[in-house]
Amino acid sequence: MLALKNKDINLLRSSEKSSLLRFLALYTVLATMILLLLGIFYYKSQEELMFSNERIKLSNYANEQVKELKLLHHYFPSRTEYPRSYNFDSAIYDIERVKIFSTLKHSEVNFDKEIYRSGDKIHFVKYLDDYYLGAKYLFLEIDEDKEWYSKTITNIIILGILTLVIMAIFGLFFVHILLRPMKNSIMLLDNFIKDTTHELNTPITAILANVEMMDTNVMIEKNKKKLHRINIAAKTVSHLYQDLTFLTLNHNQQSKDEWIDLKKLFEDRVEYFTILAGSKKVTFYLDLNYSAIYIDIIKMTRVIDNLISNAIKYNKRLGAITIILRKEYFIVKDTGIGIEASKVSAIFERYSRFNNSEGGFGIGLNIVKSIIDEYGLKISVESVLGEGTDIRVEFLKASIGNGDSND
Amino acid sequence: MIKRIIVISLILSALLYAETKSENIKENNKENIYEHNCIPCHRYLPSSLGDMYMRYLKTFSGEMTLKAALKAFLKEPLEQTSVMSNLFIDRFSVKDKTLLNDKQLDEAINIYWDLYNVRNKLK
Repeated sequence: MLALKNKDINLLRSSEKSSLLRFLALYTVLATMILLLLGIFYYKSQEELMFSNERIKLSNYANEQVKELKLLHHYFPSRTEYPRSYNFDSAIYDIERVKIFSTLKHSEVNFDKEIYRSGDKIHFVKYLDDYYLGAKYLFLEIDEDKEWYSKTITNIIILGILTLVIMAIFGLFFVHILLRPMKNSIMLLDNFIKDTTHELNTPITAILANVEMMDTNVMIEKNKKKLHRINIAAKTVSHLYQDLTFLTLNHNQQSKDEWIDLKKLFEDRVEYFTILAGSKKVTFYLDLNYSAIYIDIIKMTRVIDNLISNAIKYNKRLGAITIILRKEYFIVKDTGIGIEASKVSAIFERYSRFNNSEGGFGIGLNIVKSIIDEYGLKISVESVLGEGTDIRVEFLKASIGNGDSND
Repeated sequence: MIKRIIVISLILSALLYAETKSENIKENNKENIYEHNCIPCHRYLPSSLGDMYMRYLKTFSGEMTLKAALKAFLKEPLEQTSVMSNLFIDRFSVKDKTLLNDKQLDEAINIYWDLYNVRNKLK
């Protein structure tokens, strides 16, 4: 019972899955963005820390250089050699930002920042009050110590991964909370169906058995029609009961696979639904070749019954249902209302209904799909709104028989 | 015929000489604007034109700024706008207004800038 419960809970509909995926995508994007922002802030703060350390050193170098420029200015032009140092390279620019002299390796300079990185160098700008040699701007250039960079990047990666893991754990927790109402509603519906199913069995069996036993020859025409209607109604409820039983019990039981003559099965099921189809004056056209597959007969019956039942339910009055059976596939065609192209992919979801004017729980095609998937068959739907729907089921080559095994 | 050719040749030579002479005079005049109008007075001052250039450079930094400030001072010399020390001004006073027109003044200042420009001399 617990296993059944878990299985039901895990049967999330695609809309719920897409909601979940959307939430996860949003959560991941937001988490990544937050981490990215934090990473940028951390990187900037580390860069600023490095600059503040270098600024003190560069400021001292700049003062030394200014003294040298002052001397050179004083002795110019008897001395013309620009002052150089082993510790740094430098350049001087005038008030109009025109270069006077430069020994910089990276010649691109920024006049608006006091300290900045230029390639693998650090540039420091000192604004001079006395324009020795006409210099308003003194640029100093030193090699950048890359240690802070590798350390910062390593920290960002490690902390980023760690934070991502923590946020993922939180994310799972949030998803769990988010999904709880969905799971509860699915469980509630499943439990309701299970409880209802038990109560349907006895009355339906009694009605159908008594209808079969009644002698229609002695009845007047009016009563015959009434009995006919009772028969249709009982078969409809019986079909629903079969689906519900399958959903709640059979689906989770071991399959009893055997070779099945599909032509015979189709003929039987069509005969079963003839009365129901007659109520809407829907005509069956059968084009059945011999085909046998290795499958559980109850499950195959559920597939056929649901496809035919839907074809009747959603058909027009005076419509037609064509069933084509070949060795490797069968097709159930109807001349019904059709399905919008955008909704075709969702028709196999549990509790999906496309027309509220028709009854049902919306579980028939979900059962079909679960059986098809269980046996690795292939189902495809082609539908034109207002014209009808073709459902094609292709068999696995391994499960197709040549007829010998059927006997 | 030979006479004609000789006469024409002489006329052409004379014209060519006149043209060359005129260009040389112009060039010399250009040089002379600075040499004739600046050097004679500054020659007798203790602070050389080179020293004054360095004072201007230290005060005004850029080429355009320096030239504009110098031109303004030469046209309207004032104690307040002079780059020289008070001691110097007390001793030699502020110079008289220039008699050169704008064009001549620009030429003289350009020559002065080029002559002492530090950019070409730094090594």
